[in-house]
Amino acid sequence: MGLLRDTATRRLWRRLALLLIAAGLLGAAAPVSEYQLKAVFLFNFAQFVEWPPAAAPRENAPFVIGVLGKDPFGADLDDVVRGETVNAHPLAVARYHNVAEVRDCQILFIAASELAQLEGILAALKGRSILTVTDAEGLTVRGVMIGLIRQDNRIRLRIDLQATKASNLTISSKLLRPAEIVGSGG
Amino acid sequence: MSVAGNWRSLLKKADGSAGSARGRRSAACLLACVVLGPVGGGAFAGAQVDTPTAGDLKQLSIEDLMNLEVTSVAKEPQRLLQAAAAIQVITADDIRRSGASSIPEALRLADNLQVAQINAHDWAISARGFNANLANKLLVLVDGRAVYTPLYGGVLWNVQDCLLADIDRIEVISGPGGTLWGANAVNGVINIITKAAQDTQGLYALAAAGNELHEQAGIRLGATLAPGVYLRAYGKYTGLGQEITTSGAGADDSWHVGRGGFRLDAEPSAPNRLTVQGDFYSGAEDVPATGGAGLSGGNILSRWTHATPGGASMNLQFYYDHTHLSQPFAASPAAPPFFSGFPAASLKDDLDTYDLDFQYHFAWGARHKIAWGLGYRATHESDEDLSIVRFAPTVLSQTLYSGFVQDEIMLARRVYLTVGSKLEHNDYTGFEFEPSARLQWNLESTQLLWAAISRAVRTPSRYDRDLLVPSGLINPPPPLQFPASFLRGSPDFVSETLLAYEVGYRAEIGPKLALSVSAFYNDYHRLRSTTATPTTAVYVFPYPVFFQNNLEGETHGLELSASYQMLEWWRLHAGYDLLQEHIHARPGAVDATGATNETADPQQQVALRTGIDLSRDLTLDAAVRWVDSLHINNGPTSGPVVGTVPSYFELDSGIAWHATRSLEVSVMGRNLLHAHHTEYGFPAPTREQTGRSVFGRITWGY
Repeated sequence: MGLLRDTATRRLWRRLALLLIAAGLLGAAAPVSEYQLKAVFLFNFAQFVEWPPAAAPRENAPFVIGVLGKDPFGADLDDVVRGETVNAHPLAVARYHNVAEVRDCQILFIAASELAQLEGILAALKGRSILTVTDAEGLTVRGVMIGLIRQDNRIRLRIDLQATKASNLTISSKLLRPAEIVGSGG
Repeated sequence: MSVAGNWRSLLKKADGSAGSARGRRSAACLLACVVLGPVGGGAFAGAQVDTPTAGDLKQLSIEDLMNLEVTSVAKEPQRLLQAAAAIQVITADDIRRSGASSIPEALRLADNLQVAQINAHDWAISARGFNANLANKLLVLVDGRAVYTPLYGGVLWNVQDCLLADIDRIEVISGPGGTLWGANAVNGVINIITKAAQDTQGLYALAAAGNELHEQAGIRLGATLAPGVYLRAYGKYTGLGQEITTSGAGADDSWHVGRGGFRLDAEPSAPNRLTVQGDFYSGAEDVPATGGAGLSGGNILSRWTHATPGGASMNLQFYYDHTHLSQPFAASPAAPPFFSGFPAASLKDDLDTYDLDFQYHFAWGARHKIAWGLGYRATHESDEDLSIVRFAPTVLSQTLYSGFVQDEIMLARRVYLTVGSKLEHNDYTGFEFEPSARLQWNLESTQLLWAAISRAVRTPSRYDRDLLVPSGLINPPPPLQFPASFLRGSPDFVSETLLAYEVGYRAEIGPKLALSVSAFYNDYHRLRSTTATPTTAVYVFPYPVFFQNNLEGETHGLELSASYQMLEWWRLHAGYDLLQEHIHARPGAVDATGATNETADPQQQVALRTGIDLSRDLTLDAAVRWVDSLHINNGPTSGPVVGTVPSYFELDSGIAWHATRSLEVSVMGRNLLHAHHTEYGFPAPTREQTGRSVFGRITWGY
């Protein structure tokens, strides 16, 4: 019993047991909820993207992650940002029915429901330093800065450097390294 | 590689590379969840498993997040979960795994369609019933181009094809879509959407051969012409063997069709996008006696999308389509003295369609999203006069113009109301009005409740108005006389109307189960009837029979579909369709067929499908369907005579081996349970049967 009281050894045993189970299951992994994961990606973008000073939140204003269109996140996004801050700005979620409402917002998630109006949305956001993100697939989604692409049940990142540069956003190499880069901005 | 990478990075996390104590604990907990998950969800379903919390996930690096598996049973959860309609999406992957070699075969994957094979190359396809021989209540669009023929308001399925690998998805909507798509979107809309040229770069090749699908070959080349300018070109050839009839004789309906086409996608400047695409095709039956049925044609479409800095977007689309149809009639020997017989001949129909469509989307205030559009279509159709069937006038030019407006109003944070209407004008009946109202309530992010009321119309086709089946070949003995025709359209045939009430619920229940239910009540008026001329002393028979709008009635039903991701590598799907039809002549009117001529529909359908990933490179798929018996009339001139197509079970199955990343080798079987079975047609020695089909297929590229 003395052996088990040793936490380090116990941890080793546990890890070994987990590894065995993992091997036994051929590496099958428990799924996480798709939109919970995507919400965490949005949260990460807040940390790994640099906004020009003019587009950063004003003093005492929150850092806003906006959702445009029919919100697929439910409570997931709110749960992820609750209590979090970016450069001392509290994170907040805003929901927009149409692009005209989008004002002080740093990250904008464009829901798949907006696909038909995507061109208009991008044109309306042109020149504003808002990081646009979408997971709409299938149709050609061009000009959105970050695509959350579902591939083999995993979420991949596709970053359009041309679009981010045009909006004066700087993306950390931590995001760029694992992402698929499109656009000739690099 | 990804599996190993996954574990390595997660273990690295557990080893403490995340830095903080909180990070270490969370990552270890997450690892436990990840490992134990399949056990809890699969073998020991009762076991309690913690799913990772947002806090856990926030500790992971981007690489780790990218290595996590997500499950969501609905393949396009967003688009599906957010559409207030009975919509089902057939994905590219579904099509590939099903072993479908044509679009009608792929449409069997939609639970909310009735799909019946008539012969080697003809199909009867409808939603929510009315799957008559010349089914006319479904609108089918290929990349925005309407492919129905105004000859009878239906679809010539044997030439609606493409390289199936170029299909991005097929959206199947049961229920009316007249507000957006106009007349003929009465019972359903099928949108076949192909991939953009930038998503089909490189080489793709396909070759298949088997007993029913004699041979199929296809090739596609995609290239980048200039930065932002992409092109693909494809060719496809299909040869189908003949089916046999009930009597066991060859049906003489072997079919071969070749087609080619291209698609160009370009972004000349940032908020502009241009698509130009076109196809041409030619197909024919190989029948020595009559020359066989044949179809040929082509189309070209261009679409320009532009966005304004104010956030509005607009689409301008133009297409031209030419369809040539040749339908042979076998010679009928003379039977003196009353019947003079007729020689073999072909009905030839040539249709030119020019269509211009403009749509504008913009936001108004905080709560409104408005779409409006204008459309103009000109058709020019000529039908060669034959001794046994003709259309009068022989050549007909028509114009159709339309406008629609639709507003999606956000009533509350998760409650949306969409109201709108189409107003269109056609040369036969003048103005038609197709309003609808849809209410959508997103209960949660994964649950949607919706309800809709819509009006839709089917405007007259040439068949309803201009058909003439002459009887001049019959010489009745004096003093009897015979009318000039057996069957004819009516100049006073008006539009059929539908008032549809629908409710639906769609949900993802947990990470493994996706469910969709919709129920409808359809109230039809002025449906096509066949009215016999009262028998008089002069005429031997109650001919001519002509079309009127004397039927009405209601249908109601239920559409249910569920997908269950039992294990990561094992997916199950079930679909059920219930349809009850109560169509009758309106009070005081009579229908010569006893209101049986339009509804050759199974009351129930069941589909069960399973997809198994046997290993990383090997997939096994199987689909069982049961289709209820259907009652079918022998055509509008034959009175209330109804025959039956018996209910049937069938099985499609296929196994595919991904030999390399680009090479897939598969063996596919369709309709495996019976050597032959019947899906459609009035019982007669010439009714055709669909045979068991087995073929091998090799594809290169993706």
